[in-house]
Amino acid sequence: MTARSTDHGGAAPNVALDRFYRLYGAIGFLPIMLVVLIVLFAIFVPHFLVLPNVLNVLRSSSYLVILAVGQMLVLMVGGFDLSVGAVVALTSVSSALVMAGLKGQMADQPALIILAGVLAGLGCGFLVGLVNGLCVAFLSVSPFMVSLGTASIATGSALLLTNGIPVYGMPVGYVDGFGRGLWFKLPSAVYLAIAIVAVVFVLQNFTRMGRYIVAIGGNLQAAIVSGVPTRFYLVATYVLCSVFASISGLALTAQIGSGQAAINSQLTLESIAAAVIAGVSLKGGVGKVEMVALGALFLLILTNAMDLLTIDPRIQTIFLGIIVVLAVALDELSTRRTRRV
Amino acid sequence: MVESSLAETPRAAQAAAREDLLLEMTRISKRFPGVLALDDVDFDLRAGEVHVLFGENGAGKSTLINIIAGAFAPDAGEFKFRGRSLVRLKPHAARMMGISPVFQEFSLVPELTVEENLFLGRELGAGGFLNHAAMRAKARSVIGELGFDILPDQKVGALSRAHQQMVEIAKAFLTEVRLLILDEPTASLTEAETQNLFALVGRLKSAGVGIIYVSHRIQEFQKIGDRITVLRDGRKIATVKSGDVSESELVELMTGRKVGVLFPSIDHRPAAKLLEVEDVTLSDRSARNVSFYARAGEITGIAGLVGCGKSEIVRAVYGLEAIASGTVRIGDEEMAVRPTPIDMLRRGVCYFPSDRVAEGLALGRPVRENASMAALDLPTFSQASILRRASERRAIQGIVDKLKLRPPQIERTVAKLSGGNRQKVLLARGMTRDISVFLFDEPTVGIDVGAKIEVYELMKSLVAEGAAIVLVSSELPEVMNLSNRLYVMHRSQMVAELSGADINEAEIFSHFFREKRPEDGLAPARSAMAT
Amino acid sequence: MSDVDVALRARETPAGGLWRSLLAVLLPILIVAMELGVYFIEPRVLSAGNLRNILIQSSYLVLFASAQMVVILTRGFDLSLGASVSAISVASALVMTGLDAGDAAPWIVVAAGLVTGLGFGFLVGLFNGGFISWLGINPFVVTLGSLNICLGLATTMSGGRPVFNVPDPFSSLLYNGKLIPGVPVPVMLAAAVCILLYFLLDHTVFGRALYLIGNNPRAALLAGLPSRRYLLVAYILGALLAAFGALMLTARTGSGEPNLGGSLMLESIAAAVIGGVSLQGGVGGVIPVILGSLFITMMSNAMNLLRIDGYIQQILLGVIIIAAIFLDRIRSTRA
Repeated sequence: MTARSTDHGGAAPNVALDRFYRLYGAIGFLPIMLVVLIVLFAIFVPHFLVLPNVLNVLRSSSYLVILAVGQMLVLMVGGFDLSVGAVVALTSVSSALVMAGLKGQMADQPALIILAGVLAGLGCGFLVGLVNGLCVAFLSVSPFMVSLGTASIATGSALLLTNGIPVYGMPVGYVDGFGRGLWFKLPSAVYLAIAIVAVVFVLQNFTRMGRYIVAIGGNLQAAIVSGVPTRFYLVATYVLCSVFASISGLALTAQIGSGQAAINSQLTLESIAAAVIAGVSLKGGVGKVEMVALGALFLLILTNAMDLLTIDPRIQTIFLGIIVVLAVALDELSTRRTRRV
Repeated sequence: MVESSLAETPRAAQAAAREDLLLEMTRISKRFPGVLALDDVDFDLRAGEVHVLFGENGAGKSTLINIIAGAFAPDAGEFKFRGRSLVRLKPHAARMMGISPVFQEFSLVPELTVEENLFLGRELGAGGFLNHAAMRAKARSVIGELGFDILPDQKVGALSRAHQQMVEIAKAFLTEVRLLILDEPTASLTEAETQNLFALVGRLKSAGVGIIYVSHRIQEFQKIGDRITVLRDGRKIATVKSGDVSESELVELMTGRKVGVLFPSIDHRPAAKLLEVEDVTLSDRSARNVSFYARAGEITGIAGLVGCGKSEIVRAVYGLEAIASGTVRIGDEEMAVRPTPIDMLRRGVCYFPSDRVAEGLALGRPVRENASMAALDLPTFSQASILRRASERRAIQGIVDKLKLRPPQIERTVAKLSGGNRQKVLLARGMTRDISVFLFDEPTVGIDVGAKIEVYELMKSLVAEGAAIVLVSSELPEVMNLSNRLYVMHRSQMVAELSGADINEAEIFSHFFREKRPEDGLAPARSAMAT
Repeated sequence: MSDVDVALRARETPAGGLWRSLLAVLLPILIVAMELGVYFIEPRVLSAGNLRNILIQSSYLVLFASAQMVVILTRGFDLSLGASVSAISVASALVMTGLDAGDAAPWIVVAAGLVTGLGFGFLVGLFNGGFISWLGINPFVVTLGSLNICLGLATTMSGGRPVFNVPDPFSSLLYNGKLIPGVPVPVMLAAAVCILLYFLLDHTVFGRALYLIGNNPRAALLAGLPSRRYLLVAYILGALLAAFGALMLTARTGSGEPNLGGSLMLESIAAAVIGGVSLQGGVGGVIPVILGSLFITMMSNAMNLLRIDGYIQQILLGVIIIAAIFLDRIRSTRA
């Protein structure tokens, strides 16, 4: 019954609102909203439900899904990862540099070049996640601050390595075959996202780690006392999140065709937004990967519609900010009702 | 699981139980910053014995059982379990050896189910993957053997406190249990559930399990305890056989004072009603249809078991819990549905929370700031929002001297003070304003006897000056001896109003074990005696 | 509440006096050592001109670090600091150049610029504080949201390009005027703000309440302090401080810059935390902010003189942040 650290006194109760939130929790706000949104946009937004656009949305949301799933895991252990966007940039840059650098020597072995690049990219994610995880688990410092620090380091490194200029020279097979290719009519990234969602689904429901993640986020003391190796799993979670960010970065880079340090700077916020919309609690211990995938889809359908309606991307940024705050507000208000002292 | 904790055949086990020294602790000491929690304590436990650990809060009971469970190591002394000397014991290792603690603060994750909590840290499965079927079967069998009415797939966060305790106990029985530690286990159980627990304890005894039973409910543990060890201020005072000592002797051992000396005699001069609560029900139903009143010059006690709602109703009066229906009257004035602390303070009502650290004090700030915190809007302390620091210093120093804070330094950080002194800083807050109604919520938890007496003396002087005191306490001796009028709450309802000779333990307990039916009004003292 | 619980919770209290005074002395020593070290490589660092530069440069950071400190005291955070600075710069520049073009009197133009800037800051503070104090939402997420909103507004309003020709009277008021000969205006303004802030924190009920709320929000509530109102005011105050800093910076660059905020968010946090403001809340003051700002500015200045790549500086900032929070953690576990 310890007080929450930022509890400054709650809002007054309201019975009708109470019922609304219980409904929200039971049925799942998100799937309904998603369907409503799709129907609305199909009717009112030009060129929304045509095949090229649908493929576009699916492809774009795949990158976010992978990112958001990683963020979800970190949120579930009661943490936060503000460095995912920076990891994407660093991965993009390092994988492109390695691949471009090896092109001269191994021109006849594109597979090896690609492998080297991929490993370099994943290595970056692994490293950043390791730093984040170790600091949080062993130094007990705030995950917000650590990831802010590593984000700065990662972004700075990415800029330093490229001087802000895009890196070209990745193997054609990588870019056209993987990045921009269609496998059985669907963008390759979609399969990647589905694979990752499947893996995490198994993780959450069928492995020890899945339970431990909930335990660590739900009641760290209980987990420690029960003999859960909390530090190990904390580090593992942060590493997993950053590696997922790397994977997303690799796929995104392949699609763009060049390594960019300035790659989409909103990704971090979008990953958090997708997770929160999907019902992942900022306090930890709550989250389902299927919902997060839907959350990412939701966000991207919204952005896509705004693009089609030619709403300035800069204004879209403003909307994103508002959406995040509202989503979190809703989450906070609903948990306040259902929380048992 | 109970049966499988038998090491030998029944007859051999009985023989072994007489001889077998399960636990041997010699000259154990443990120091925390600012407090010597255990000072040269000896404790031992035989197999098949129920050994009661008795003492007030802060006596050292928690520290001792935490050491036994491996939560931390003693600073000095020897710790032997089944003949083996244990050094640097960790909680997980302790469980594996058969030491199973069931603490008051549960080690449960609310977001996980009963089954998931049972197996937390020791899941069944291979290579990282879980064997759901095996765990489900084992969970069912353990719960069944213990006779608990919980289901493996219920979310623990949705269970009542009593059911959560069952999960915690079941957790202990997942592995072989040799030494069971029960920490205030009946705090929130009904009579039926308590009887079940005692039956379980009985079965364990005959199976050779040693049980450490931590409690300060004398009537209860005299029924099932074999030996009783009394701790006070971190020291072992005595170890006696259960039948050999009377209740009042135990209280004397526990407090170190004769019952008459511990509690001052307080003149009872009741005057006007200063606080009246009429048919109040809280939004979260932790208190329902509660009515009581408090008069000037009188101490009104509210007794009851943990979780009965007595704290909640008083907190609601102060504005910390939401009131769904009913009225609260201060003097003649009826309060708005959701009063706020500042409203209450301005009307002369002050609340002292039970959890000093979480809700009462800003530990990193000096005594002066903590004491003046509730009165910053008064002219002594500020003018046009600008602090009057010299005036503040004078005022607080005066109060602190009167309350005998030791040492009387107002610039000292509260974190450095002992429990008793921290409580005095909290109480000083009540002296900075014109307060006529004092709401004390478990005021002497975790403070030494000397400080307790000073708190009681303060209450006496407040009442003599015409204040009304509402005393909420789970410590029966305290609330019985200090109250002029005593209300009893049970399971969120007010079940009795007692005064005079009716304030005694037997009378109070009789109200705990009668479920109140809706048509019962407040049970008057006389008719309760007749049942 | 047994003594065990008390002892276990004791870990959460701020540092003991000895350790804290040790650290207080450490920072000035570090600063001196750093400057001397750099002197041997690049003697210009201790020249009168450079020192003057450092003073002026750190004046801006003092304002931003103070803005962060005010909210960090309450266990909060303001991630939107840099973005709001950009937006305010653009907005006020637009208003001033607009009015200027319409031939309005110079004092009206300047006043309008100031009002726009401070008004915008007020709104940002209201937004942040409102969601954080009234709905109890995590400050990180709220200010992350407002960060994006401000960023979007800055780029939208400016069209992505700087807004040139901020009127001279404005610049001379906040940057190169000659009010007190020999003392640069930014330094004067920063000093004035520090004095006011000191008075506010140490001698008013509001200031006292901030420390109490930061140390234990529940206790503050129980003692009848209007926590929610004060929390809102804290965020508004922080935003106003940042707005003032933004106006000062705009006066200096002479244009409304959509990227003015840049790395300000990280720098302001680093400055505050290094100086001694604790992330746990309830610990901090004007002196820590000044020390921390000096430190960060000197580091940045030294790196520029040593011609270290800007990108490397960004990496170093990240390293400093991690070191600072590590330090803060050690400080707060020494009970």
